Amino acid sequence: MNELITVDAAAELIRRGVPLSLAGPESALDQLPVGNWIGGTIPYFMVAGGGAVVTEGKVFATDLSRIGEVRIACYGPDELAGIVAHAPDNGFSLTIIPAGGQAHRRFAADAASDRDAFLKPTVGWIAGVHLSDLGRAVPKVYDGRTATKHGDRAVVAYVSLPAAKMASLEIVNLFEPDGGDVLHFAETSFHVRDCEVNGRRVDFAQYLRSRGLEHGKLPLVGDFAGAHINVSLQSIDDAKGVVDLYAPVFPGVDYHFAKPVADYAAAFRARLAALDPKGVVMGCNCILNFVFGELEGKAIGGVQGPVTFGEIAYQLLNQTLVMIRVH
Amino acid sequence: MTVPPLHHPCWQRLADGALSRLKTQHLGTQLLIKRIQRSPDPAATKTGEIHAYFARWERALPNEIQQLTTL
Repeated sequence: MNELITVDAAAELIRRGVPLSLAGPESALDQLPVGNWIGGTIPYFMVAGGGAVVTEGKVFATDLSRIGEVRIACYGPDELAGIVAHAPDNGFSLTIIPAGGQAHRRFAADAASDRDAFLKPTVGWIAGVHLSDLGRAVPKVYDGRTATKHGDRAVVAYVSLPAAKMASLEIVNLFEPDGGDVLHFAETSFHVRDCEVNGRRVDFAQYLRSRGLEHGKLPLVGDFAGAHINVSLQSIDDAKGVVDLYAPVFPGVDYHFAKPVADYAAAFRARLAALDPKGVVMGCNCILNFVFGELEGKAIGGVQGPVTFGEIAYQLLNQTLVMIRVH
Repeated sequence: MTVPPLHHPCWQRLADGALSRLKTQHLGTQLLIKRIQRSPDPAATKTGEIHAYFARWERALPNEIQQLTTL
């Protein structure tokens, strides 16, 4: 099971002891009983019929019992190293973190620095809220063991796989570097005052405006040994003179801005149709792709899942579709 | 192709920078390469980390493991 279901159906599964990963509006998750589940708030989903917004009565449920043995954990912002430290030797750590808190920022900055991060894969997403509630509602994650919600902790479903199986994390990133200016950043940060462009120090906000990129639709694309890792622009804070980002930039990485994508839905359909669907058990896509790509009501194929405020594949990603494959 | 033992000289070369020449489309491997490039850890620590990674994912990375002694 990896689909939208009613709250009543989810509650029944929980009462039967089925381990679940859940995504949905807070009003729906609040109704669920104690059990072997984790959850996070989000009202946006990509389902077979297309992008959908669910504001009450349903949750997106992934039955983890068919994947492996499940153990639940919950970590505060100072305890995030525990995500990898307590991960199974063979499996993955399905992790949900609420947007905007210390846990989000610390995971983003530190996750890839853990020496075991690539031995014990962490995958998951960042919980959010309805865009009309930005600034008023706080994203939450849920520890089903006590049916409690948290605004600044990480919940984890550790999924252990049989020895004959293994998990791999895959991404679909529509964005390609534009091949123009090369940007470098001196610090790991969500907030950038200046950077180097082709070796020359510049004010980042002024640079964005000079290139007409302040709309934020095009992410920075970092070159991680050939992997394209996006960092999306949130806003320019003129009072502080900084550009706010949805994920940190890192020193020692070459960044370009992305080329525009003309038709997100068509591009996703083409990329996902070319992928082998075998073994893909869950996935998530980014709210910025949903919004900028106008994906509501548009089917793109591939695995169903929540549309999130950040995606996790070993580390925090932006504007990227993430999938877990078990093979 | 099996993963060379930890005492094989390839691991030192990889830790000293040869890992950057590995050809791969595997996300975890690409992110590991970048982590090793950016890491201030001593070469001996990197050597152990790289070896542990390929030993762990031996079954999933035959093309990458085939390259290790040639870089």
